[in-house]
Amino acid sequence: MLNSITKPVQEDVWVKSTCFMCWNTCGIKVNKVDGVIVKIEGDPDCPQNWGKTCAKGNAGHMSLYDPNRVLFPMRRTNPVKGFDVDPKWERISWEEALETITARLKKIRAEDPRKLVISTFDTRGQSGVFWMAWAAAFGTPNQWGGGANYFCGNGFHPVTYLTHGTWFGEPDIRHCRYLMLFGTQNGSVSNHLPMDLAAKMADARMDGMKLIVVDPVGINAGSKAHEWVPIRPGTDAALALAMINVLLNEEGVYDKEFLTKYTNGPYLIREDGHYLRDHETGKPLMWDLAAARPRPFDDPAFGSVALEGRFLIEGKQIPTAFTLFKEHVRQHTPESASSITTIPADTIRRLAHEFGQAAQIGSTIVIDGKELPLRPAAASWYRGAIAHKHGMLTGLAIQFLNVVVGAIDVPGGHLGNNPVSQTAPLHWSPVPSADGLIMPQGYARRRKPPYPATKVKPPERFDLLELCPVAPYGTTFFTEALLDPKRFKLSYFPEMLIVCRSNPLMTCANPDRMAEALKKIPFMVAFACEMSETAEFADIVLPDAHYLERLDANPNEPTEFVGAGEGYWYWMVRQPVVPPRGEARGWVEVLYDLADRLGIRGDAYALLNATLDLKEPFAYKPTEKYSWEELANRWMKSWFGADKGIDWFKKNGFLITGKKKVEEAYTRVFLTPRIPLYVEYFLDAGAEVRKVTEDLGIRWDTDDYQALVNWKPCPAYDHSVPGYDLFVVNFKLPFHSLSYTSHNALLAELSEKNPYAYSVLLNADTARKKGIRSGDRVRLETEEGYEVEGQALLTECIHPEVAGIAGCFGRKSKALQLSYKKGVHFNTLLPHATERIDSLSAALDSCVRVKVGRL
Amino acid sequence: MARLGMVIDLARCVGCDACTVACQTENGTPPGIQYAPVFRKEVGKFPQAKVFFLPTLCMHCDDPPCMKACPTSAISKRKKDGIVLVDQDKCCGSKACIAACPYGALHFYEKKSGMYGEKITEPEEQALKKFTPGTAQKCTFCSHRVDRGLEPACVVTCPTNCRIFGDLDNPESRVSQLLRERNSVALRPDAGTDPSVRYLP
Repeated sequence: MLNSITKPVQEDVWVKSTCFMCWNTCGIKVNKVDGVIVKIEGDPDCPQNWGKTCAKGNAGHMSLYDPNRVLFPMRRTNPVKGFDVDPKWERISWEEALETITARLKKIRAEDPRKLVISTFDTRGQSGVFWMAWAAAFGTPNQWGGGANYFCGNGFHPVTYLTHGTWFGEPDIRHCRYLMLFGTQNGSVSNHLPMDLAAKMADARMDGMKLIVVDPVGINAGSKAHEWVPIRPGTDAALALAMINVLLNEEGVYDKEFLTKYTNGPYLIREDGHYLRDHETGKPLMWDLAAARPRPFDDPAFGSVALEGRFLIEGKQIPTAFTLFKEHVRQHTPESASSITTIPADTIRRLAHEFGQAAQIGSTIVIDGKELPLRPAAASWYRGAIAHKHGMLTGLAIQFLNVVVGAIDVPGGHLGNNPVSQTAPLHWSPVPSADGLIMPQGYARRRKPPYPATKVKPPERFDLLELCPVAPYGTTFFTEALLDPKRFKLSYFPEMLIVCRSNPLMTCANPDRMAEALKKIPFMVAFACEMSETAEFADIVLPDAHYLERLDANPNEPTEFVGAGEGYWYWMVRQPVVPPRGEARGWVEVLYDLADRLGIRGDAYALLNATLDLKEPFAYKPTEKYSWEELANRWMKSWFGADKGIDWFKKNGFLITGKKKVEEAYTRVFLTPRIPLYVEYFLDAGAEVRKVTEDLGIRWDTDDYQALVNWKPCPAYDHSVPGYDLFVVNFKLPFHSLSYTSHNALLAELSEKNPYAYSVLLNADTARKKGIRSGDRVRLETEEGYEVEGQALLTECIHPEVAGIAGCFGRKSKALQLSYKKGVHFNTLLPHATERIDSLSAALDSCVRVKVGRL
Repeated sequence: MARLGMVIDLARCVGCDACTVACQTENGTPPGIQYAPVFRKEVGKFPQAKVFFLPTLCMHCDDPPCMKACPTSAISKRKKDGIVLVDQDKCCGSKACIAACPYGALHFYEKKSGMYGEKITEPEEQALKKFTPGTAQKCTFCSHRVDRGLEPACVVTCPTNCRIFGDLDNPESRVSQLLRERNSVALRPDAGTDPSVRYLP
């Protein structure tokens, strides 16, 4: 007989929980046999992933049982810090560790609480909400998002906020018939809601949806596309704007009704670029064609609104914003874009034509008895397009492709992830600002919206967020500020760093420079599952609970991790399947122990009551001390009812609170706030940044604060020293996420067997001209002198001007034997430099020129 | 009697390797052994180039060469559903089946080892109890799941639903429908094995 088992099994159970192998939150069920996790499957009933799990999710428990896991608190006894330096760890007790940390925290809090920095990418659900409240109660603004925030959704989130009123967005693949992906791999098990989108995308492709993938690398999404359009890195905006130009000025294909009703296109614009405002109310004016006079944009007496034209007002010809936009994009001809992007002009015209035709402007669809516009064409974008110096303008340019054909928050177009909720327990909806533009409210506001611009002031935070009024986070500036605080007029310096689920030494830019920055912080505490590079720099390492050992209420935030469009509202739980190994503990739970010792628990509870809007009798009493589980229990009961406490969630895994109404699924036509096609408020925001930075004597780039978007060359495009003839780019594999998964035994095995994972991808023709063959060892070197070595793989699936490096490999911590020095570490090649950071979105430019030579 | 089989829709597959890993954890296969690897091959010249993904597994042939090659009759085909299985207790480790299989679907389990090296993790300890060192191993179509009315692990996990499992002999089954509706290919038809895994190009 096959599978003869000798000992009878005592316990064989399945526990529902939420995955955490990437930043998505798939519903899982976990099989525990005799106390050991042996299998993870997708939860077939969970609307997040309907039973599907990717390679990472399947492999999750192997990280839990990694024999190299950090299991006990340890103190560094070797004061020297560096890669390949033995920290000479000495095991200590939790009590000793916490006492040491408390003493330092007390001193810092008494002197200047800002001297504490917390770095983590653990930003959602109970852990995310609770550490942020802890940090606020402690009094530090210094939250350092860690590696992923250097070039994650920097040029995405603010754009979706401005145009949808929500933190995330996705193409409506249910109804879309023509989808363009710019530097993202939706549907190929990467990016956002990957299980849901993979299934929908496969269905849609089979059903005839045309998929166009614009990307310098074509090995995953590009390989499933009807057309892979290889593009020179950092030039996506040139393509998008040329397509818009063709639609507006050559083909005359654009959604006039949408632009008139739902954008600021009809707003009248003064010579200085600002809105022409009503003398009395200060409101932006539009032109009433019927009455032949301007009126405030929200005047109910409007006859018909002029989208285009120039109108004589007080002796001046005043154009509408759309008129300026349409004229502005004329400079982006397919011919000029062709020389920038390397895409033939004919192809650009054809793509624009196909996109415009596919949008079926004027068509409608009836859903649940409501007639809605149907615009089955969408453009989606992410890191590949926007992790560049002018990434925010690029994000806007791509989204404006959707805007001009009216494909925003209507069936078939690009959707925000739930700008509106009319379903208990939480209700939210964007409202119009005084100028009539989209302003998210309530729950949808819990991240930093780009509009209205935040107040610009001299920086106090080490991420310089005060100088980034429209950015979602300033993370990237952290390294700059640590290395040279005086340059940014920062009057203090961090004394302590707490880091968890963040590995800045691997996931940001050049690790040696990052190491210099980290070494300047006198005391570093790392919570760690694996002995990451960053944990190896710590003074105290504390064993962190693995996600299968941890409780988190509501890990899936509905403006992020509930699919857009039709579907369900649902709330999940992540729960411990097994007790923590060794002496591991959930890191935020530990912070709340420290809160007691510091006397800030009550303050943190008060902040949580406000943030979570907890109602009596479930609100946290500042005088009480609750267990982590009880904190979750009260939160759940307050939101979902006394019968839906943590036990209910543990048993059921998630709660479906309803099917989305059509007003929640396709929000655009039910809302009045407008999309800023003309980003007028950038002008004032930029002027403020200019004034504050000039007053402080900080050199700061404000050129991108412009009302009309255009393409601008990033440093790698502009700066070409002979010999440094290739752009090097990083691309994502579907079975890895950040640095964390590279040491998972099952996923490391996939890397070993996948030819693209550990290699340097070179276009076959380009490589041959350089005398490089597949299998040759090559060195990639930047002008700054940063270099990596790796094995060349010649491929037809990469742009001839590009070298490609996958994932976050080439680990530097010897404790990680399976991944130590395996593959190539892309980020080593990226310089930390202010001039390489997008001043609008704080994205670090993620491509650089290299010289490639055979060793 | 049924003939269980699988139809793999290559147009849907995005090469994510979820099947490969789900199979490894479901079956607890020893380090280095993947019953369901995804192979990649580039086709075309830049820019009309793409990577072609080929998810694989044991073909559960109607006429399995491995079965014929086995000197100890350790390989059999279940009468009730056509699943081809290796009986470890009968396997003498001759590797004849490995040489005979045109698909590379059989693997040799040499000796106990761990994925992380010397220290063998607890899930591996549990899983490796099921494997006899010195024997041939292969995909079982997850017969242990099938016997409980479940689909194979690779089918259940696939994010794009590209693997469809069912009875090839039942004209009403989804697999039979797909084979009627769309062109399909078998791998290595020259080998004359009549595999129960078919591909939709």
